[in-house]
Amino acid sequence: MRKPARILLAAAAAAPLSLAACGGGDEGPVTLRMTTWSASEDHLAMLSEIADAYIADHPDVEAIEFDPLPFEGYTSTLTTQIAGDNAPDLAWILENSAPDFVSSGALVPLDETLSGTDGYEYDDLIPAATELWREGDELYAYPFSTSPFGVFVNNDLLAAAGQPTAAELIASGEWTWERVVEAGAAVHAQSGVDGLVIRDFDYSGWDNLSTLWTGWGASAWSEDGTECGFDDPEMTAALTFMHDAVFAQEAMPGPGTTADFFAGEAAMTVTQISRAGLLAEAEFGWDLVPLPAGPAGEYSVIGQAGLGVLTVAPHPEEAADFLAYLTNPENSAKLAQYFPPPRESQLTAEVLGQANPLLTPEQLQTVVIDRIDAGVVKPGHTGQAQLDQAVRAALDPLWTPDADVAGVLAELCTAIEPLLAQ
Amino acid sequence: MTRTEVKTAVPGRVQTRPGRPGWWTARRRDHLAGFLFVAPQLAGTVLFVILPLGLMFWYSFHDWNVLAGGFTWTGGENYGRLAQDPALPGVLGTTAMFSIGLVALNLSLALVLAILLDQKLRGTIVFRTIFFSPVAVTLVAWTIVWRFLLQDDGGVNGLLSTIGVEGPNWLRGETTAMVAVVVVQVLKNVGLNMVLFLAALQGVPKELYEASTIDGAGAWTRFRRITMPMISPTILLTSIITVVGSLQVFAQIDVLTSGGPGTSTTVLVYYLYQNAFQFHDFGYGATLSVLLFAIVLVLTVIQWQMRRKWVVHED
Amino acid sequence: MKTERLTTQRSRRAKLLLYGLLCVLAVPFVFPTWWMVTSSLKSANDIFAFPPSILPADPSLSAYARVFEFAPFAAQYFNSMYIAAVVTVGTLAVSSLAGYAFARIRFPGHNLLFLVVLVGLLIPSEVTIVPLFQLFNGLGMVDTHWPLLLVPIFGAPSVLATLIMRQFFIALPAEVEEAGRMDGLGRLGLYWRIALPLSRPALGAVAIFSFLHSWNLYLEPVVFLSTPEKFTLPQALTQFTDAYGGPMWDVQLSAATLSALPVLIVFVVAQRQFVEGLAHTGLKG
Repeated sequence: MRKPARILLAAAAAAPLSLAACGGGDEGPVTLRMTTWSASEDHLAMLSEIADAYIADHPDVEAIEFDPLPFEGYTSTLTTQIAGDNAPDLAWILENSAPDFVSSGALVPLDETLSGTDGYEYDDLIPAATELWREGDELYAYPFSTSPFGVFVNNDLLAAAGQPTAAELIASGEWTWERVVEAGAAVHAQSGVDGLVIRDFDYSGWDNLSTLWTGWGASAWSEDGTECGFDDPEMTAALTFMHDAVFAQEAMPGPGTTADFFAGEAAMTVTQISRAGLLAEAEFGWDLVPLPAGPAGEYSVIGQAGLGVLTVAPHPEEAADFLAYLTNPENSAKLAQYFPPPRESQLTAEVLGQANPLLTPEQLQTVVIDRIDAGVVKPGHTGQAQLDQAVRAALDPLWTPDADVAGVLAELCTAIEPLLAQ
Repeated sequence: MTRTEVKTAVPGRVQTRPGRPGWWTARRRDHLAGFLFVAPQLAGTVLFVILPLGLMFWYSFHDWNVLAGGFTWTGGENYGRLAQDPALPGVLGTTAMFSIGLVALNLSLALVLAILLDQKLRGTIVFRTIFFSPVAVTLVAWTIVWRFLLQDDGGVNGLLSTIGVEGPNWLRGETTAMVAVVVVQVLKNVGLNMVLFLAALQGVPKELYEASTIDGAGAWTRFRRITMPMISPTILLTSIITVVGSLQVFAQIDVLTSGGPGTSTTVLVYYLYQNAFQFHDFGYGATLSVLLFAIVLVLTVIQWQMRRKWVVHED
Repeated sequence: MKTERLTTQRSRRAKLLLYGLLCVLAVPFVFPTWWMVTSSLKSANDIFAFPPSILPADPSLSAYARVFEFAPFAAQYFNSMYIAAVVTVGTLAVSSLAGYAFARIRFPGHNLLFLVVLVGLLIPSEVTIVPLFQLFNGLGMVDTHWPLLLVPIFGAPSVLATLIMRQFFIALPAEVEEAGRMDGLGRLGLYWRIALPLSRPALGAVAIFSFLHSWNLYLEPVVFLSTPEKFTLPQALTQFTDAYGGPMWDVQLSAATLSALPVLIVFVVAQRQFVEGLAHTGLKG
């Protein structure tokens, strides 16, 4: 890789030192490095514990380091490290960069290692959960966190606005987007706090809107990724609905407004169930329910994070072996404390309940377990970063009160079609 | 520099003083001293500036996809792409708007503040401190705070509402977002230029003003005829530094607008960053780097040439 | 008599007008800092109350405690401090030497070499960050503080310092050194005994520039450092997110306040030296 750069640099400055650095050879125990975006002490302690147990049994691995990089700019920092010949062995991979990593050959295929590991129970992995991380038949990363989207509801705020609770709406079969927006608008009209927030959307993370438009049967692009889906009638209907909800009914906060559900500033929020931890100190009555039904019926969306071994890693083989250990059934159950596992056998209310003591078995059953198989993942495509940027820029004009929804979406498709064709 | 080195230098002169004959003349020794003095800076420049710049130039002739791991010579292909990049004219236009706005606002505000503070007034020290204080605040902290303040329901609109003005949604409108990033950047750094102008103003000999007052010149005439020419070297230097700096503004745009809404605040540095670090296309990123460098170079040379026209008493 | 009173009245009115103007202009400079400090004392919920309250209703330092619980903030603080200090001292040495030579020694090629050095002034760090990363990785210095020390002291950031020093030394009258030369001082002696003591204001300016530059560095630490204990402050500021990337506003603002206040206080106390140091940079030409 990039030999010219290396040679130039070595000649210019680094010759004696880099020779010394390279003198280690391949023999002897290695040190593995894994990048994460969580700097949480608890997460790192758990990972270190598993790593220590692994090292005890594997003399060929001397140490395993966990490098938390800032979440903000995570992929860029990772890329810089790769470009600078300092790739980690293992890396967490964000869902929205999954297609780029998976299809570019940046990751080591894992099928052989995983299925060849004793007691791994490879077939236990749920197909819907691994789909995003496959290319052809090969699995390139392990989806260590597979977390469906649900709706957190602040029952106190709904009650104050004279609205039925979410549970009551579900019982009466009225848990639909139409009704949710109506309730949100009522809350906003009554108390001024916001009705419904699609968390992390913030008028730029547009892939989070798939939690809404999937209810209309819309998708960002066709299954094979070649045709733009934004100008389809379903998408136009879904985004017109959203536009009205924001600007006409004022059920959702407009752009440039921050409303944190977990601080009691919104009646409802669409987000992943793993955020339940933020409710530990909540001073209001809350509930977690599945996404409301759209015109196309009931559906679910899952959010993921992957763990992969980089092709350019210093020790890809050892790293893949450690990955197999880290995600075997026993350790997967440990990881489940924080990250919902992609394993059929562990997707039980009991296992998940240990991880999410704030959630009731019913909530876990209805939101997570019943839905994960049917879950749609957020939109992903090769060249995702570029697409992401192009769609965000083209969607911006939509978020004004008198936007022409169909017109904006038609232009969006013109803008991204060359990218989809690549 | 340590004291011991100086001490050894002092006895050294005693020995060498009687003028050694031949090649090792005092002049040559002086030249050697000159080289040694600039050596650290020069070595640093070669290693940390010229070499990386050369590498970027080298990379710009390659297709380098970091993730896929490919690094292949493509000749001038990246430059062909540069010429045809449909997004580039917009980016360059935005860059020009941003830089012109920033330089104009920064320099004029700095000059106005400096003139106000140059008046014989009690308490100017307090105001001087206030105007300079953002310079001392961490850039990231300053920008994060402004992101909060510029939200639709943020502090700026809260402040405006107390005087009965309904503020726009600053970071979501194309024009207002541009205005916002320029103003935030100017507020952060205008103190530096202000202080430099202030020093220059105070360095203008008072007799010049007195003479012109007797001649009956008005305040504006005095400013134009005396003040401006006298402080023109300072204006030149601050404008070079500000122009160059304006083309390097990155973190602020990243935090405040991420180049949006649409692409209305995507300046060249940000576009370069997007291509290299977000789209993993280092080859094209390198090509954009070369373009950016060329632009900065040309602008600086032009300004340096222009100094002969309007800068008085340049050495 | 009458006209005299009129002028004083008019000048008093002018003065009031001037003060009014200064006060209005001061608002956007003071407001952000004020908002940052007061908001850091509010709870996360109150930060976004609209319209914002001027004073926190129920001030609390709890977010400050969490700053230190969440991250090795004290170590990060120390890192930023010592890196900025070393960079400042190093830059003073490198730039005063180079500035002196470029200004006062007519060695062959000094103009050309000066132009070479000036190139550093023209390059944004985004342009060279990848090659620099490769370089330091080759030297085994990634995830150490060396890149954050070496590049600012010797590389592009110190070029402005060298320029300032050169402009200052150029303005020194030749006679000043003549006396020293009579005493038989060599170049090093002239530089150390004569030129440097005279250049205190310019050194002050360079010190301020380089301290602030190092203190503000953002991209470089993010790229070069990966161990939280080695982080610097600006980098640490963006780290105050919960495990899912959601920002913890109140903690972030407390950390931002902590990062800004000491420098602000030092600045307010020493502001005369600060400003006069900058003012005498020799940039006057």
